[in-house]
Amino acid sequence: MSEAKTLVLQAQRHLKWRSFDVIERVLMVLCGVAITGFTVAVICDVVTRMIGRPWLWLQEVTMTFFIYGVFIGTAAATRRNDHLYLAVLAESLSGRKRLAFEVFNRLVVLIVALCMIWYGYLNFLDGFRSLRMPSMTPLASLYAAIPLCGILVALFTIEQLVNGWNNGFAEPADKPGAAHGGPGSYPL
Amino acid sequence: MSTNGMLIFTMAFLFLFLGYLGVPVAFALIAGVLAVTAFTPIGLPSIMAQLFNGIDVEALLAVPFFLLVGELMTSANVTGRMITLSQSLIGHVRGGLAQVVTLFSMFFAGISGSSAADVAVLSRTIGPDMKREGYDLGFTAALIASASTMANLIPPSIMAIVYGATGNVSIGGLFLGGVVPGVLVGIGLMIYSHFFGPVGVKRRRSTLGEVGDAARKAAVPLMIPIIIMGGILTGFFTPTEAGMIAVVYILVVAIPLLNRGHIRQLPHDMVLTGLLYSIPLITIAAASTFGWMLAYLRGPAVVSGWIASAAGNDPFMIMLLLVLLFVIVGDFIDAIPAIIIFMPIITDLTQATNINPVHMGVVIIVTLAFGLITPPYGLALLMASKFIGVRFSRAMFASFPIYVVFFAAIVFCIFFPEVVLWLPKQLLPESVGCFKNPSGPGYICP
Repeated sequence: MSEAKTLVLQAQRHLKWRSFDVIERVLMVLCGVAITGFTVAVICDVVTRMIGRPWLWLQEVTMTFFIYGVFIGTAAATRRNDHLYLAVLAESLSGRKRLAFEVFNRLVVLIVALCMIWYGYLNFLDGFRSLRMPSMTPLASLYAAIPLCGILVALFTIEQLVNGWNNGFAEPADKPGAAHGGPGSYPL
Repeated sequence: MSTNGMLIFTMAFLFLFLGYLGVPVAFALIAGVLAVTAFTPIGLPSIMAQLFNGIDVEALLAVPFFLLVGELMTSANVTGRMITLSQSLIGHVRGGLAQVVTLFSMFFAGISGSSAADVAVLSRTIGPDMKREGYDLGFTAALIASASTMANLIPPSIMAIVYGATGNVSIGGLFLGGVVPGVLVGIGLMIYSHFFGPVGVKRRRSTLGEVGDAARKAAVPLMIPIIIMGGILTGFFTPTEAGMIAVVYILVVAIPLLNRGHIRQLPHDMVLTGLLYSIPLITIAAASTFGWMLAYLRGPAVVSGWIASAAGNDPFMIMLLLVLLFVIVGDFIDAIPAIIIFMPIITDLTQATNINPVHMGVVIIVTLAFGLITPPYGLALLMASKFIGVRFSRAMFASFPIYVVFFAAIVFCIFFPEVVLWLPKQLLPESVGCFKNPSGPGYICP
């Protein structure tokens, strides 16, 4: 399988539209870009300080990569069902009970995502009144990550709701989850 | 109950209710806060700003670096050399593989700050060997999970980074303070495995030459803890920069020397770690929003008032009550959100009773590390039982006797602050409140 294809998790395929795979792939690549970006920025920060010519704006670059990396990763983790969970009670259920639990859980996530979009947007507008130092860039440039994340999370949650409603949420018996997929795959 | 009390109760209930229904932790936390905000004069856009403020903390940059270190070491299969070294050192004693699990975890803890990485490595490598040698699967899972908790105690620890960043406590001090409980837990697990664990297969003792050869082969990865702690202790690097230097060392030295073929896989590792770090960090962002709302509703003042009225001014009693609180909290909530949500309470009590913040931090971190193996939300035990292929209940029963090791470590940390703080005082005195002697050499410590 090509590198590009392995970036899309094949677990819970029945909850995903193939047309959205490209978004997951792009988000995964952006996660890699974000961590590479702030690693390089921290390296440059240390080196320029050591040679006595610090580039002060590098700290802003680092935080930009870091913050966007978190929110992009959050969106990708929603599609891959990779978030941290306290319990996955619904997975032990079946039939209508499971459907009800899974739909309810995703509706909660959808409501939070919608709040992130609208109130995150209002916060983004508010961010034009504060500036980042030393570049004097409006703080809104970072606040924008929240509504963007909200849009993606909402999109993926709707995808899962529609597919789960049509196909059921349980993994088909002939297609067990991928080895490194599923809820809580990457806890701390 | 006052209005604030009702709101706090509602917020906590919603979080736990939604969390246990299966809503991701981060979204359950945000949902609880959003619901309660409607009953306060706070605008909802401010909650979004808090979500951002929760991670706009420079010290948190260290988290992805230490996760990246663990991911690179694991995926490049460099850890195998450390397992061989552990086997040559201790594989010959009773319950040899069980001892290897503990010793390897102590080595690995010095490289990665994540229990999950430790559980994944041990379950994939030593787990199958233990099964072949007839070790009980429940015991194997319990031991791997317990040993993995040392990753949160022995530096670099992600819990210490989060604690230090949110509580304004020296991360270097917390790193050094974690060494004593980390080693205590390690020794405790070794004693337990020796006297109460399965016998395993008897192996011959490695010759000095074999040990030397294994040590030589493991020297490259074992340099990482020296680089990390050396950089921090000399004041040359912050923990974030030390993490970055460790990453650069692995990319430029360790992988080209030990597994050159893995270089092509590096972009994939970066992508996966990019995803990996966002998961705890969005939880941190959500938890700090939750903690902020809790503070707004004066929750910490109320809870710390209860604890202070029950314990008086006795710092040991306050610590014991906090340990009790965190044992209960750690059973239900992940350590990182727990630290952030309860930080205002910890800070209140630490200041009120004049407890050294590093000492308090170490006690809380050991308690939360213990929470990784306690039901129902013992994350390390859940992962280990899943990877080893044994029912959680069986692993849980096998882990019960091991609790004694953790109780002993926690009690020791509470009652012997001078031992816990000895290393920070020697190597990083300012981290524990010591200041330079104005009239001579050395430091004066409170």
